[in-house]
Amino acid sequence: MSVVMLASALLCQSAATAQTPAPPAKATSPDKVPSAPQVVTIIHRLNGLKMFRLLLRSEQVQSIDALDSTFSLMDDVHTNVIAGVAMDDGETIAAWLPEAEVEFGPNDPDVTVIGPDGKQVAARYVGLDGVTGLSILRLENRNVIAAGTVKDEPINTGDTVLLFRPEPVTKTRPVLARMGVLRGRVQRVVAAPSGGVARFKVSAPRLSQTNIGGVAVNPAGETVGIVDGLEGSEASILPVALIKRAAQRVLERQASVPRPWLGVKGEAVSALKFDDIVNHGWELNRAAALAGKHRGIMLTSIVPGSPAERAALRAGDVILKVDDKDIQNADDFTWWLEQAGPSSSVEFTVARPDRPAEEPLNVKLSGKFDANWNVNAWARFPSTKGFSLMEQGIETIALKPFVAAQLGTTAGLLVVYVEPATAAFEAGLQAGDVIQSIDGKPVAAFNPTTQSDSFTFEVVRKKQKLVVKVAAKKN
Amino acid sequence: MSKNNCELIRRELDELMLNEAYSASVAEHLRDCAECREFQDKQKKLRQMVGSLGTVAAPPDFDFRLRARLANEASGAGSTFHYWPVVRRALAVATVLLILASAGILVRNVMNGRAGGDVASKEGPIVLPPSPEPVPIKTPVLPDNLDHKVIATIRENQPQVVKAERSSQPSYKVRRPMAAIDFSNERAEVITGTELIGASAAFPIDASLQSFKVSLDDGRGNARTISVPTISFGSQRIVQGANQFAPKRVW
Repeated sequence: MSVVMLASALLCQSAATAQTPAPPAKATSPDKVPSAPQVVTIIHRLNGLKMFRLLLRSEQVQSIDALDSTFSLMDDVHTNVIAGVAMDDGETIAAWLPEAEVEFGPNDPDVTVIGPDGKQVAARYVGLDGVTGLSILRLENRNVIAAGTVKDEPINTGDTVLLFRPEPVTKTRPVLARMGVLRGRVQRVVAAPSGGVARFKVSAPRLSQTNIGGVAVNPAGETVGIVDGLEGSEASILPVALIKRAAQRVLERQASVPRPWLGVKGEAVSALKFDDIVNHGWELNRAAALAGKHRGIMLTSIVPGSPAERAALRAGDVILKVDDKDIQNADDFTWWLEQAGPSSSVEFTVARPDRPAEEPLNVKLSGKFDANWNVNAWARFPSTKGFSLMEQGIETIALKPFVAAQLGTTAGLLVVYVEPATAAFEAGLQAGDVIQSIDGKPVAAFNPTTQSDSFTFEVVRKKQKLVVKVAAKKN
Repeated sequence: MSKNNCELIRRELDELMLNEAYSASVAEHLRDCAECREFQDKQKKLRQMVGSLGTVAAPPDFDFRLRARLANEASGAGSTFHYWPVVRRALAVATVLLILASAGILVRNVMNGRAGGDVASKEGPIVLPPSPEPVPIKTPVLPDNLDHKVIATIRENQPQVVKAERSSQPSYKVRRPMAAIDFSNERAEVITGTELIGASAAFPIDASLQSFKVSLDDGRGNARTISVPTISFGSQRIVQGANQFAPKRVW
């Protein structure tokens, strides 16, 4: 015992000694890494249900056969750690959360903000900007994070840029992270068709996927952008002007804002071979003239039921202008559609294989968060006799009996998402419900009769059986 | 009928397959020994019963469930009493090491005090000045090969668990148990490059490093197991999104 007391005394002594004043700090090095008080860390957590929704979107999943024994629907199963920018209004945070697309809907996103000093700051998730992929958060208390400068312009080739991003430092519990910094150099500045900067490209050693979402800061410590992609050995940086515009869009609606959606696939005429143009119904002379101009976007496919189909656009049509702005390439087309915004009307100038002259065409755009997902999902879950759960705004995954027992529920279709503002949502169907039968028939054997006015779902919610009657969606 | 002889005969019966014929000597013995005949009948019935059972298939996730359970039991085993002798020895070794380290620190501090002469007099006992403002503490132990400059520090009153308490969370929401740590699927990268020019002090994150696995079926009879990390940094996405500038020419 005396040995332990001696050890304790020695420890106290050394701890007390450690509290002696620290020696004066060395003179600041001219190469000192600048502090970036506006760079924060975002912790974004997903529970089991949201993870299932991610899997449904990313994998060819129809059913879950087996699960890790520790998996639970309502517990956190995945945590993403990423950088964010505190905007200069003192209360808005912009961050590129990679899995934010599962956060639309009524379930509160689980986000935590860590300030530059390591302190936790309460924040609320406002919404996702579909155009930029940025999530916008609002701090509960204004100015709890020291105001930094979010610098707009200019960016020049050759400028030095510091890339901040959180990174792990340990391989054991507790998981420790820190904000690391890489030094890079601006290689290219991509001008926006309407003026200003659309993106700039930065090269830096050891760039990886973990840099996406990182914050770019100039040597003066001012934020100049957020990394939104990797292209080879270069990071693509979304400039501050576009970050501010994204925040404005989301804050005005106080909700997620989708990207404008036309419902087409296409290719810039300048990128097409002559044969490709001819194969889309263009006569040789006109195809040659079109190819020589290097203008426009040729539509190669149209999504059924999309704004493009409603406006009578067809594969082979070439969009030359959007609201009188010339379209040279795919980036131009994307840019001008984004400037118009979802739910807006635009006027296209269209050249068609079967018409001698260009003609104007008014199109009412709609909005989607992920056009690829929607196209793929419809192909993956085709409707039977005019009915599919997808059409009703219900996303499901089948649970095998073993998995259902593990999750404390019954076998059937697990609802992972219900689209707000649909009849199913209004009727009270919720994510986490397990659909056991539709109109009294097991889900696997359900074959709808013609023109039903409603569907009766038998569901299990927290081990209780419920009946939910959903009005059929009218086309 | 000797007892030894019965034992030999029964051993031979034990080693025979179900439909295998026994030797002449065994047959002769069985004719005369009622006890061994009874033993043989019981053996035959038992084997027939076992043989009639169907094949038992392990569930698809048996492998990783077993591994997780073993890991859980291993991590929880330290609290059980039957490991007390081992724990006691470890404690004794730790105490000795602690004393040696503390003595080393004390000697170094005394030597430093003599060399500096500003804080303590040369002959007198070490006199400590009043406690200054809180000093940075709890700097975590970082890997040796990290070449970094500290641009921020963690203060003593910094929260150790960064997860916010949210009153809006349902009461049944609990943290995923993190007792078992399995690094076999750990994907998080530890930055060690010399290109790293700076880093803040580390802060803890309430998450497990352990991956979890899901076995999926695509509806066409193709099953596969995927491993999902429970923590990711930056954009280690599971989903390929549409956030690139003009992705895949879809509008």
